[in-house]
Amino acid sequence: MTRLIVGRLLFMVPAAFLLVSFLFALFHLIPGDPAVMLAGDNAPRSVVESIRQAYGFDQPLHVQYGRYIAKVAQGDLGISNYTRDPVVNSVIPRIINTAQLAFLSMLFAMVVSLLLGCVSAMYWNRPLDKFVTVVSLLGICTPVFVTGLLGIYFFSIYLGWLPISGMSSWRHFVLPVITLGSFQAAVLTRMVRSCMVDALGKDYITTARAKGAPEFLVVFKHALRNALLPIVTLFGLGLGHTLGGSVVTETIFNWPGLGRLMVNSILTRDLPITQGAIFFFAMIFILVNLLVDLVYAWVDPRIRYD
Amino acid sequence: MTDFFRRYSRDKVGVFFGVLLLLLYGVALTAQWITPADPMAVNLREVFSPPSAKHWLGTDQFGRDILSRVILATQVTVKVTSAACLFAVLTGVPIGMFVGYRGGWIEQLTMRATDMLLIFPIIMLAIVIVVVSGPTETGVIVALGMAQAPQFVRITRGVTLSVKEELYVEAAIAAGSGWLHILARHIWPNISTPIIVQATLTLPVFVLNASALSYLGLGVQPPTPEWGQMLNEAKDHLINAPYLIVGPAAALVVFVLSANLVGDAVKETLNPKLKKRK
Repeated sequence: MTRLIVGRLLFMVPAAFLLVSFLFALFHLIPGDPAVMLAGDNAPRSVVESIRQAYGFDQPLHVQYGRYIAKVAQGDLGISNYTRDPVVNSVIPRIINTAQLAFLSMLFAMVVSLLLGCVSAMYWNRPLDKFVTVVSLLGICTPVFVTGLLGIYFFSIYLGWLPISGMSSWRHFVLPVITLGSFQAAVLTRMVRSCMVDALGKDYITTARAKGAPEFLVVFKHALRNALLPIVTLFGLGLGHTLGGSVVTETIFNWPGLGRLMVNSILTRDLPITQGAIFFFAMIFILVNLLVDLVYAWVDPRIRYD
Repeated sequence: MTDFFRRYSRDKVGVFFGVLLLLLYGVALTAQWITPADPMAVNLREVFSPPSAKHWLGTDQFGRDILSRVILATQVTVKVTSAACLFAVLTGVPIGMFVGYRGGWIEQLTMRATDMLLIFPIIMLAIVIVVVSGPTETGVIVALGMAQAPQFVRITRGVTLSVKEELYVEAAIAAGSGWLHILARHIWPNISTPIIVQATLTLPVFVLNASALSYLGLGVQPPTPEWGQMLNEAKDHLINAPYLIVGPAAALVVFVLSANLVGDAVKETLNPKLKKRK
């Protein structure tokens, strides 16, 4: 296990290096002169030239690349074009907000999908199962921004129960978490159901029923425990998708998270912030992936990746 | 092929949504001629008029007819997603075939790279690429296509690996054919069906991501209508004109739903074993 963890952590070093190289390339791939972009379209030539010198854009590419890598290695991702604050300062608090949203949504999705999936499998091919299947199918086909807008209309405007945007009290969490969580719940319910239908068809289930175990125990103890392995895999994948979906959800509800920061910085052409947001998002995805791998190895000792 | 249609026609849900999907494609192809009003025409006398006999879905903040905009947006969506799907196939499939057939370090390297890209959700990759390619129609097509291409590399490599062990490939090698000839004449014809099916199955993913991009303001730019972007605009007028979200939301959900169900039906027709688990 230790070897697995160390190996995977070491893998992050080249990954981070590639990522930083990509971000450097991004800066130069974007059409337009970076110095003009920083100075503004109507800036006089002298200002553009002084910015070019100050930022080192007049240096050869390999020199700029070396400087960029060295700066990032020291934790310096540049300063925002607009607020003039260091990028790291505006990105770090956003990560915590996004993590809260994604974590709660995933929790919601896991609880809902486990319950619905198991119930659906219990009543396999009967009206209740058909109903759950149709609802989850509709959920998969409804993008988060449609669910979010319908939620805002009914619960915030029509009924006036919940706030539209921000994150200052628990009531602010309800709509964003349910919006993001229900899409994921719909995806996972279908998969949990099919895993459970598989598990309920096995011989040990017949044995459990034959010896007179109550149906509740048969489903939630005998079947669920054995179906847990593929389900954990699915939940791991779901976490990544939830983080991806958080970008859109944050934009709907004006959630002060990393995703909205990234989208806004792209729209306002605040490139240092965009680079910083992409850097941290990518590192989060790599870390989450690593964590999921470790959980697999822990749940199923047969997997010990050499 | 006739056998396929005969078996497909037994699936009532598949037939219903298949017809619906064809209808939507029909709307997309004929959008210019069937819009009841000019989708771009600004009319400040009719700003925010609720649904009526004249404007079935109402008008927006510029007095533009929503129904006409939804119809034109169907065309935009079909155009962008089909082109993006084609882009993903045209970049992913040749790479997958080449590395699958060649093997060795180049295969290792490519697969490591695709594994790494597959960690990230498609929408994230698309957002990053759109920063470079720009929020234009072409830019969105390139972004969505490139974001989805790694999936096609992986699928194609998988089927290529199994097909290249076949005797007819060995015979072609023995006959002295070059690798390009073998890929084009012996491998491609034998892997094209699963790949084309896979491409059609991923269509709903393209539609969802294209509309998400334009909801974020990173997709096709106004005044060209797109469902996601129309919903983004509708959000600002949710209090006084909630009917604005009905048209684009319904069109989007019905399109994705039909595409998903048709995909499921095609999969089940090709592989009847799947049906048992349902």
